[in-house]
Amino acid sequence: MTPNWSPYWNEKHETLQKDQLRALQTIKLRRLVEHAWHCSPFHRRLYERAGVTPDQLRGFDDIRRLPFMTREDWLGNQAEKPLFGDLITRPASEAIRYHLTSGTSGKQPLRVLDGRKDWSWIADMWCYGFWGFGIRPADTVFFAFSYGSFIGFWGAHYCCEKLGCLVLASGNMTTEQRIKQIVELGATVVCATPTYALRMGQTAEKLGIDLRRDGKVQKVIVSGEPAGSIPAVKKMIEDMWGGKCGDTAGMTEIGTIMIFECDHQPGGPHIIEDHFIEEVLDPETGAPVPYGERGERVVTSFGRGFIPLIRYRTRDLVCKVPHSRCRCGRTGDIYDGGILGRVDDMKLIRGTNVYPRAVESIVREFKEVEEFQIVITREASVQDEITVKVELKPDQQHIWPQLSVRLGKDLADAHEGLRFNVLLAAVGELPRFELKAKRLQDLRPAN
Amino acid sequence: MTESAKDLLGKPLTADEKELLGLYQQLKAMSQKQQLPPCALMNLKQAMVLLWNACNDLGLLGEEPGCD
Repeated sequence: MTPNWSPYWNEKHETLQKDQLRALQTIKLRRLVEHAWHCSPFHRRLYERAGVTPDQLRGFDDIRRLPFMTREDWLGNQAEKPLFGDLITRPASEAIRYHLTSGTSGKQPLRVLDGRKDWSWIADMWCYGFWGFGIRPADTVFFAFSYGSFIGFWGAHYCCEKLGCLVLASGNMTTEQRIKQIVELGATVVCATPTYALRMGQTAEKLGIDLRRDGKVQKVIVSGEPAGSIPAVKKMIEDMWGGKCGDTAGMTEIGTIMIFECDHQPGGPHIIEDHFIEEVLDPETGAPVPYGERGERVVTSFGRGFIPLIRYRTRDLVCKVPHSRCRCGRTGDIYDGGILGRVDDMKLIRGTNVYPRAVESIVREFKEVEEFQIVITREASVQDEITVKVELKPDQQHIWPQLSVRLGKDLADAHEGLRFNVLLAAVGELPRFELKAKRLQDLRPAN
Repeated sequence: MTESAKDLLGKPLTADEKELLGLYQQLKAMSQKQQLPPCALMNLKQAMVLLWNACNDLGLLGEEPGCD
């Protein structure tokens, strides 16, 4: 008999009234800052410079007294005091895990350490998300993930062990091997980046495997890229796999996810507000922006003890809307459309703002497209050009004349009439990705 | 039980919450006993951390995550 499970991982706090939630966050914030003040020389200096002490944090809005922490601060601290800097609160010898940021941005990666409690908490945050999307102990969960130094789905793996699911770790398998195992073992849940979920679906087609018919996948959990909340991408994944696609988002600096889509799918993921404070601020002024307006995510995490993360500037672009958008009963607010991109992703092309995520959302409306790439160049040292290279599915080449016209028009219509060059790439020409995709090439000389 | 029988928001603990917190406190105390054989001590620490997680989620204690 199937137990009558609660729909919530932690009903007590996930459904807390907003004023109570704010009170809880305030208590946790003060304790966190006290911990950082006493145990992390980096944070002590940061707060002393800003003239703020833990006892000044009396109400929720006092968080604004605290200075921001940036990636540059973190990297600078680790460079100055290798390997881990003095922002860690305990000796490195007490850690049980070491991870790095993914390095897809081409920047120097951040090094992170975690203790036992941190690591257990990391898995627990994934539990909020997996449970909320309907994953239960009877599920068989396949992780299309390489299990390296990038933190990726590590925490999700342990979450599923905690839930009592059968966990399939695919490690260094090829894409073909992964697909075969998903089918053979009847995986009911698949976890991957959105890009790789699509790639597995495309590869299955080439292998003559119909995942909808031959597989048992009911849910695809995606993470790691903004595309997980693009409706056209979700639809493609759902059409390929025959299951619902749920988005989550996290970051190595946190070690886990801070938002997840519940099974009501209200158009964006809920914030896990009993474990995080997620502020949305104007990236230029640092002032809070109201519900419904885009701004930069600034995160405070209550869970990681080894490396306190307090008012960390993520550079992620989001648009927060009230929890009442969703009928699931959770009181954690929602990021409408998930992570919308990066503050520094925005490209200025002949006076028009272009975000890669917006381009992807248009390209993915065309189901004949297998892969794409955005290339920005500067012609004759003056004129910027933006080109979208498109690789069609091998049996859809004939559609190019019509598709190229429509795609060019749709891109222009969404960008104040900006002209996009649209080029057909040969089958197999464009790069494929397993983790985070890197589809934008800005070849303009640095100013 | 050493802590007051209220959660972080000042609400009285339920009977189950009291039991959970009590178990955590027992495990925490016992996991300090360095003389235990490794097979006992290390598994105790793991169990203690999982109980900490449950108590932390439910707001039963205000320990910073760093101390284990």
